[in-house]
Amino acid sequence: MKNIFVLFSFLLFTISVQAGGGWTQPKGKGYVKISEWWLIANQHYTDQGRIDPNLTNGLFNTNIYAEYGLSDRLTAIIYFPFFSRSYVNNEISGTTGDLLTPGEAINSIGDTDISIKYGLTKNSGISVAATLTLGLPIGNDGGGSQGNLQTGDGEFNQLIQIDAGTGFPLGGTNGYANVYVGFNNRNNGFSDEFRYGIEAGVTLFKDRLTAIARFIGVKSFKNGTPSAESTNTSVFANNAEFFSFSPEVAWNVKENWGFSAGVGTALSGKIIYANPSYNVGVFFKW
Amino acid sequence: MTLLTVLFSSCIGDDIIMDRVAETLKITTQAASIAAGETFQFEARFTNNIGNTEEGKVIWRSSDESILAITEDGLATAITRGNVVVAAEVTLEDGSLLKEEMDVEVSMVTVAIEQPTSRSGVIATTTFYDLEGDFILNEINGGVSLEIADNYKATDALPGLYIYLTNNPNSISDALEIGAVTVFEGAHTYEIAGVNLTDYDYVLYFCKPFRVKVGDGAIN
Repeated sequence: MKNIFVLFSFLLFTISVQAGGGWTQPKGKGYVKISEWWLIANQHYTDQGRIDPNLTNGLFNTNIYAEYGLSDRLTAIIYFPFFSRSYVNNEISGTTGDLLTPGEAINSIGDTDISIKYGLTKNSGISVAATLTLGLPIGNDGGGSQGNLQTGDGEFNQLIQIDAGTGFPLGGTNGYANVYVGFNNRNNGFSDEFRYGIEAGVTLFKDRLTAIARFIGVKSFKNGTPSAESTNTSVFANNAEFFSFSPEVAWNVKENWGFSAGVGTALSGKIIYANPSYNVGVFFKW
Repeated sequence: MTLLTVLFSSCIGDDIIMDRVAETLKITTQAASIAAGETFQFEARFTNNIGNTEEGKVIWRSSDESILAITEDGLATAITRGNVVVAAEVTLEDGSLLKEEMDVEVSMVTVAIEQPTSRSGVIATTTFYDLEGDFILNEINGGVSLEIADNYKATDALPGLYIYLTNNPNSISDALEIGAVTVFEGAHTYEIAGVNLTDYDYVLYFCKPFRVKVGDGAIN
């Protein structure tokens, strides 16, 4: 199964306003972002959409995300979590103070996505692009003594996505909006997914600061094997669903680089963590 | 870089598990009457505040040593005809006394009380996951069988759902793992070797990856 949070983080945090959406990079131009994304979760959404507690689990991804314009219409993209750490806490008896179960951690690279984006429109008010993303299962899909520590899933994703975006003046400053829909074909018994999202941003302080709001959703087709029958014992279970809100700010220190920070939280979900995730990053463009 | 270093090495912390349960004391070998001049070995099982069975904690007493004498470890000697109360006692950590009593007659014959050969209960969810159903725990040759009734239903949305026998429904640390749950609706049976009918007081469903209890059922 795709480590949903890895892709989740990719979708939520590594695409900043300077890249992604319905826009492609001009030929020879590029964008790179190095970021740290993390989530510490002690509760999750059940299959009924209610919140239950769980043993605290932490996941940290140090990522590099890059876009490069192969032509004015064709952009190559890579998301590479070159350091990923997953851990679970110790379990301590509240009665005796004894260590019941020792915590564990694994460190590895994470599952990596490579994409190719093609601009379907040119010199249009609305930019439309189609993207094919291949999720390469090169992370650890069964770490720890219980197999519940993951930095990947051993499952190969093929995501086809259509983005449409437009920019517009907004009260003396600039704004943009982007929507997308996608279909994620998954193997190894994991359910396919319908993905959708809407994003809007506005630039402030003479275009130095960009404030972004994103809503992202994933619906499972539930056409895979039940989670309980999966050999993957990850908490990132098959048939996970969510609808999330992810505000982010990006500050352009100079024209060609800046910082960004964001938070993401699932407003609703099924079989997915209910705690917020965070990210900070530095981006460069040329 | 400092931030990255911190994040890289972070951070296995501690989660406190509220695993306290009430201590229990049960007389497991009983006699309604003992023939004068004979002996009878009483037995009891004590589980502490985390559900662990502790040996050597039970002290036996007789209400009238002239009728029925009993050693601290439960070996009774019937002396003369009459009626007594036999008590099993454990002094708890807080100094309080946990006691179980039974009436015993010293008479012409020894009559041991037959222990039940089955126990039963109801499984219920303790979370927002579906889990319900009746069960019967039967004594079988060499162990027990856990018969889950046809009104049983459990979620199949959780990875790594396991079933246990335990004396502490809040933890699996000293529980007996029966196995992974592979049936999510309807009647089915587990056979568990090397277990006595009175060894455990709860059936427990636990999700290993989430490390959370999903539901339980007291074995009555």
